[in-house]
Amino acid sequence: MNEEVSFERGIILAKESFDKEIQFLRMLVLTSGAFSRQQFAERLGISVHTFDKTIRRLKEVVTSMHQHLPQEQSREFSETIRFSYYDSTDPLLLFLFRAKSVKESESQRISLLLGAMNKQTRSAMELLNMCCNSLSPGLPLPDEKTIRSDLKYLEEVGVIVKEQGPRPYRYRIQDDLVRNLSDEELIDLYDFVDVMANTQVPSVQGYLLRDGLKKHLLRNQARQHAVESFLYKYHYYSRILDEAHLFTLLHAIRHRRNVRFLYFSPKSEKSYASKNTNPLFERETEGKVHKTLPLKIVYDHQYGRWYLLSHGREGIRKYRMEGITQIEEDEAVDEVWYEEKKTKLAEKIRYSWLIDTGRPVTVRARFYNPEGSEPNFIKERVLLQGQWGQIVFENEDSFIYEITVNGTTEIKPWLRSFGSSCEVLEPIQFRREMIAEWKEIQSYYESV
Amino acid sequence: MNLFEKIFNHQIISRLEDSGTFMVTSHERAWLKTMLEHPAAADAFTADTFDKLRSILEPDQVMDTSRHLIEKARSQEKQVYHPLLRPLRRHIMNKRGIRITYEIKGGRVNTGHSGFPYKLEYSMVKREWYLLWYHTRHHAFMSTRLKKIHSVAAEPIEPSAAESILKKIGKTLESRKSEALIEIVRIYNAELSRILYAFSSFEKNVEYDTENDTYRVRVSLLGDEMEYLLSKIRFLGKRVRVVEGDYLKRRMVEASSKALERYGVFPAD
Repeated sequence: MNEEVSFERGIILAKESFDKEIQFLRMLVLTSGAFSRQQFAERLGISVHTFDKTIRRLKEVVTSMHQHLPQEQSREFSETIRFSYYDSTDPLLLFLFRAKSVKESESQRISLLLGAMNKQTRSAMELLNMCCNSLSPGLPLPDEKTIRSDLKYLEEVGVIVKEQGPRPYRYRIQDDLVRNLSDEELIDLYDFVDVMANTQVPSVQGYLLRDGLKKHLLRNQARQHAVESFLYKYHYYSRILDEAHLFTLLHAIRHRRNVRFLYFSPKSEKSYASKNTNPLFERETEGKVHKTLPLKIVYDHQYGRWYLLSHGREGIRKYRMEGITQIEEDEAVDEVWYEEKKTKLAEKIRYSWLIDTGRPVTVRARFYNPEGSEPNFIKERVLLQGQWGQIVFENEDSFIYEITVNGTTEIKPWLRSFGSSCEVLEPIQFRREMIAEWKEIQSYYESV
Repeated sequence: MNLFEKIFNHQIISRLEDSGTFMVTSHERAWLKTMLEHPAAADAFTADTFDKLRSILEPDQVMDTSRHLIEKARSQEKQVYHPLLRPLRRHIMNKRGIRITYEIKGGRVNTGHSGFPYKLEYSMVKREWYLLWYHTRHHAFMSTRLKKIHSVAAEPIEPSAAESILKKIGKTLESRKSEALIEIVRIYNAELSRILYAFSSFEKNVEYDTENDTYRVRVSLLGDEMEYLLSKIRFLGKRVRVVEGDYLKRRMVEASSKALERYGVFPAD
């Protein structure tokens, strides 16, 4: 089967995978504007035709969700979803989670059912009659079985509740959350959801809830201005794309199950010099099937990226979430053995700045306090971001920070980000590396 | 829990919107219930509302995500909510003026200044809240940490004055934006994904030069964001080079020569 067919099938089949859409959106967000259609399609390993179709489909979802967005056909899709800080605080990428395909008849029916159960209870038969009278002409009429299975589904996802009482059962929408709160309280709730979705992980359910509450507030006379009070600076916008895999992996962890997936390593040392390979997304043929036992998920705040740590044949394995596609659960493993692996991993990552499981070393660095009477923002930042490191010495102009960490690779960028306010003291090899890097950086600007 | 439930489908959602129906799934309620366990929740609600929410969500489940998920390189979470958020957001919502007493650099206190608040901004880096407001007398855009505010009270303002300030804010901020062009040093193209992730929190465009296989990131930002951009550039080290933006270039020259001096490396003269 060629790639394109498998992609098209992915959309049609009941078990829909959004791997391509996720890759597509991530690439769009990260490389906004860099590539032509052809280049973009090539890098994703799809045809231009599929590229166009995907764009059309995503655009349809985006415009139905965000009616305020520019409609001109000429407008580039990347422009449409381009992040603009002061324009909107809605996480645009959220529309990915609205992309599940549903047949026209089903989407009409489900929204009719929910509308009918809004503010009053209904029995299955009443709902059936109502549906038959209200569905658009031309759409197939539902039978009782369909309605009952809809109700079962809606009850399962917690959107409706069955009322206590004798048969025939009556159902109503489960909207206690907004029904029992005053307008003032709803504002507090909306704010809380907004703040937590933006500052905590996981966030997708929070963003979905925020979206629902926002619409509810706007329906009830709140002005647009009332729902846009907060801004969040320096967010990693694409982070919510990876949450798509999060719950599948959490499920596997909870049930101690192996998973299988096709993995595209974002690192591509081998094709270092190759011009045709984009390190972001290799072609499908370069992916490899992995079978592994998930143990832990890591969210890295430094880059806004997700990792899966697992147990494989060679011991601890680390995967970047963005490289995982076509994920499937496999058989479960023994509980005692699983706990053992988890404990071992916990020991191994105790000193990981991010996920490095290499040998622990002690890093010592001197930080220089800013000159003048300013607040000591260097020390503030070290205390804020220095994880479990300690300040072991302090005088008027500087202080020494010490940390035991697995390898120096992961902490290096952080130390370097302090520029001349940080001097690495130990290990000596690490100090030499730092000197070499600063020399090279200096050489970039020799002509300035 | 599947995030791609059909109930979240965009057509269903927009139809519900048309019919004015509020819909919430057990997924969202479980998330909310979990978040209510965060200490920040106490500052977000009155005690009454908090109890009400807890009882509404009583039948729902809590997510067990935190047992299997760890966060790394996270800033210490000093402040998620601040007691001033609730009153201030109401002033913003109602387009009210404020009279504010706040501490400035060096510990001096400005007492009873008039202004107009327009946003509350959370810095994910500093993990703190800031009030963005317009200083009426100085015609200045202010950014004040909530913890530096001693007191704040509503003050009447003409609706037309409020509207014209809001208009002015949008225009002025846009016109104050500047651009910088940063090149990814080609031999590090293999790390493109990571490098672009680091820039993903900025408003930016990426340019790709096919002939030279070179990527450049054009970042658009406000003056007070320069420091953060610089720290990102130093963070990435030799992987990137500033090609346009004199201020940034000068600062990079300064950082590298000063850093080398710290290490006892001086330019050979």
